[in-house]
Amino acid sequence: MTDAIETHDLWRTFESRKGFFFNELVHTEALRGIDLQVDRGEIFGLLGPNGAGKTTLTKILSTLLLPTRGSARVLGLDVATQAHALRPRIGLVLGGERGLYNRISARENLRYFADLFGIPVERRDRRIREVLDWVGLTDAGDRRVEEFSRGMKQKLHLARGILHEPELLFLDEPTIGLDPKSARETRKLIRGLVANGVTIFLTTHYMFEAEELCQRIAVLTRGRIVARDTVAGLSRLVGGDRTIEVEGYGFEDAEVGAVKRLPGVSHVVSEEFGPRLRLTLRVRTPELTWETVKATLPGHPELALRERRTSLEDIYLDLVEEEA
Amino acid sequence: MRHAPHAAYSISRSRALLASLRLAVLSFLADPQWLVPSMIAPVIFGLVAYELFLGSGPWFVIYAILGAGMMSMWGQTLYGSGWATGQDRELGTLEPTLSAPTPYLYVVFGRVAWNTVSGLLGGAIVFVVVAVTYGHPLPIVDPVAFALLFAVVIVSLASVGIVLSAAFVYTRYAGFIQNVGEFAFYVGTGCMFPVVLLPFWTTPFALIFPPTWALDALRYQAIPGYHGLPWGFAWDLLGAVVTTSAYLGAAGAVFRRVEHRVLEIGDLSDY
Repeated sequence: MTDAIETHDLWRTFESRKGFFFNELVHTEALRGIDLQVDRGEIFGLLGPNGAGKTTLTKILSTLLLPTRGSARVLGLDVATQAHALRPRIGLVLGGERGLYNRISARENLRYFADLFGIPVERRDRRIREVLDWVGLTDAGDRRVEEFSRGMKQKLHLARGILHEPELLFLDEPTIGLDPKSARETRKLIRGLVANGVTIFLTTHYMFEAEELCQRIAVLTRGRIVARDTVAGLSRLVGGDRTIEVEGYGFEDAEVGAVKRLPGVSHVVSEEFGPRLRLTLRVRTPELTWETVKATLPGHPELALRERRTSLEDIYLDLVEEEA
Repeated sequence: MRHAPHAAYSISRSRALLASLRLAVLSFLADPQWLVPSMIAPVIFGLVAYELFLGSGPWFVIYAILGAGMMSMWGQTLYGSGWATGQDRELGTLEPTLSAPTPYLYVVFGRVAWNTVSGLLGGAIVFVVVAVTYGHPLPIVDPVAFALLFAVVIVSLASVGIVLSAAFVYTRYAGFIQNVGEFAFYVGTGCMFPVVLLPFWTTPFALIFPPTWALDALRYQAIPGYHGLPWGFAWDLLGAVVTTSAYLGAAGAVFRRVEHRVLEIGDLSDY
């Protein structure tokens, strides 16, 4: 069986014109040589800061944008040349306040798209009831979308995305702007889809969301994938699954250098908060403990030390910082 | 509920067209702003035209009221068709619609079908209101032929509306282009008064547009002694059919090209 998604050296350049007479052509490279492989039946997470190229990649893979060069195959079909064959087999949830016909009901919105996707008439109304029930909008189905809250609209986006029972669903920041309860419900719905064999390609800003949902994660920054693995694999990549945070005042450069050179320290992030300095150490070996670090900084009785498991957010920030 | 991936459903273009038509009707009912340009304003113009030209003879009255009727049909059929696609951009529904397997052209066909019906209705209302208000029907020589030619006019307008919709898919600035060209088109194609009254150099440009031919044919039929384009009714009718067919035939190619181009540009979500 072919991969759900496979890209090779995928590039996307946007052109725009600037200047008073629009005579200055500006090229922006949104994607720079993306190589990606997503298995069928997995939730694959794409993380990246604003402007990293997440939405651009999602749109290319969902046939709404053509790549400038390189190739992308989804469910074995080329996104550029076989888009019409691919579209019935994939779903896209871009989310947000836009993308719905606000003056008509949720049910009418779904009916319109059900017809565009060719869901058989004898099945259409039942399917609409099913998806409305699934996202918890049965009672609101006949209300105008303009009366919906942000969370309800997001659920309706999701309902539309799965209406035609796609094999692969693209979710572009599906919980952004949602209250915690709605976001949790949305994540539950996503897990339910995967349990039924749907492959999910998820972009998100929220590390805990990716950590909670995704089997594998890619970190995209400035149009490049800088890392791609499981959360545990990424943790190893950036140098350890433990983090020691050291906070204090008046550190000498030599002292900071000594901490950085400790055996087992793989990566150090320095952050200043006024007169206070925080060193975040990624630790590779079990022998290195916070006591060892404290012993390296003997002249600082005020030292605050904390040891914790390395989170995906730590890994993400390390990767993005390295690339920057 | 079953969510297991399903083999892709087969797409019915006629069903997509009907779905789009249905959505257009629902949108119209939910937001009846088009009642003003498509029905209320033309009726007022029609009544004013009747009063103004009543002393000039019955045929001149027809002449003037046709202009009012055309205003309704032009606004609803041509202007409304492009505007609906612009709305898709504004609402952000253009992307999900294009991500469906149905070619967008059939969505546009559905909208234009509704706009055509409502435009016809608007044109008919002008005639009915004027007739009822003044207590006698308008002196139309052959009502059946008139109705058929009315339909030809509306289809000719629709054909331009379909091609114009492609501009709204292509660029968010299409509304600006349409507004700039609005009255030039209205006057230049003879919606308001015959193109023969315009400077001679405008005629070749006007003949590019199907409504020019269809409207002249309609006037030949409706107004005895009418002197329009020199080749007369039959050639007008043929010209209307040929140019309308050309527009409708080109629409498929235009939309394919435009859809491909917007996927290259990547500004579908801009508005």
